[in-house]
Amino acid sequence: MGKLTIGCFASLVGSTNLDFAVKLSAAAMEKGHKVDLWVSGNGTMISIKDQRAFKDYSSLEKPLKELMAKGLNVTACEACAESRGYHADHTLEGVKRFSMDWYLGSAFDADRLLHIGGE
Amino acid sequence: MKLVTFVSDYKMTVDTLDRLKPEKLGIILVQNGVYHATTKENGKPSSMLNYSANYYVLQEDLETRGLSAANVIDSKVKVIKYGDIVDLMFNEYDKSAWL
Repeated sequence: MGKLTIGCFASLVGSTNLDFAVKLSAAAMEKGHKVDLWVSGNGTMISIKDQRAFKDYSSLEKPLKELMAKGLNVTACEACAESRGYHADHTLEGVKRFSMDWYLGSAFDADRLLHIGGE
Repeated sequence: MKLVTFVSDYKMTVDTLDRLKPEKLGIILVQNGVYHATTKENGKPSSMLNYSANYYVLQEDLETRGLSAANVIDSKVKVIKYGDIVDLMFNEYDKSAWL
C-alpha cells in the first residue's frame, strides 16, 4: 500500500472539489492507503466546526470526522484560514493548521499526489 | 511519464491537454466534466474525446446529474467508481493533473 497526498484549493462556495477530495480520500483509505489531505484557500472552510447540515447541500463535517477517526490526516493552511476569520477556536477537532511547507513535506514523500486547483 | 488528468469542467477550450505529451495519458471526467462523455453539440461529440488517451467517467458524478452509463455516447469511455480511480492512480499512472 502507499501514501496519497491530496491538496485541495477549492475556490467558490459550493465547489464540489472538496466533496471529491473527501470521497477520494475515503476510497483510498478503504484500499489500505495512507492519505494526507491539505486544504487551502476557500478549501479551509472544511476546517470549521459546528457547520449545520442542510438537505441537498454539501456537508462534509460528519464524513470528515469519521475518516479522521480512521486515520485521515487533515491539515488546513493557517494563513488562509485566519484571513477568512476561521480562528483556532473555530477549528474542527483533529484538523491541524500549518503553513504551506507542511503540504510540500507531505507531497515530498507521497507515492501519489493530486493537486486540485481552485476554479 | 504516465499521466492521469482529471477534467472537472465542461469548458471546451482546454488547450492544456494539447501541450501535454506523456507516454501514456488517462483522462478521467469528473464533476461537470462528465458532460464531455454524454453531450453532443451540433451533432458532434466533444473534442475532449479526440485525444489518444484512455477515457474514464465517474459514475457518481453522472448519477448526481441524472445521467447513467446509458448516456455515455462513446464506448471507449469507461464508467468507473472512486475505488477504481485510486487503483488507476496507484497502478496505471504515476503523475496526475487537475483541469
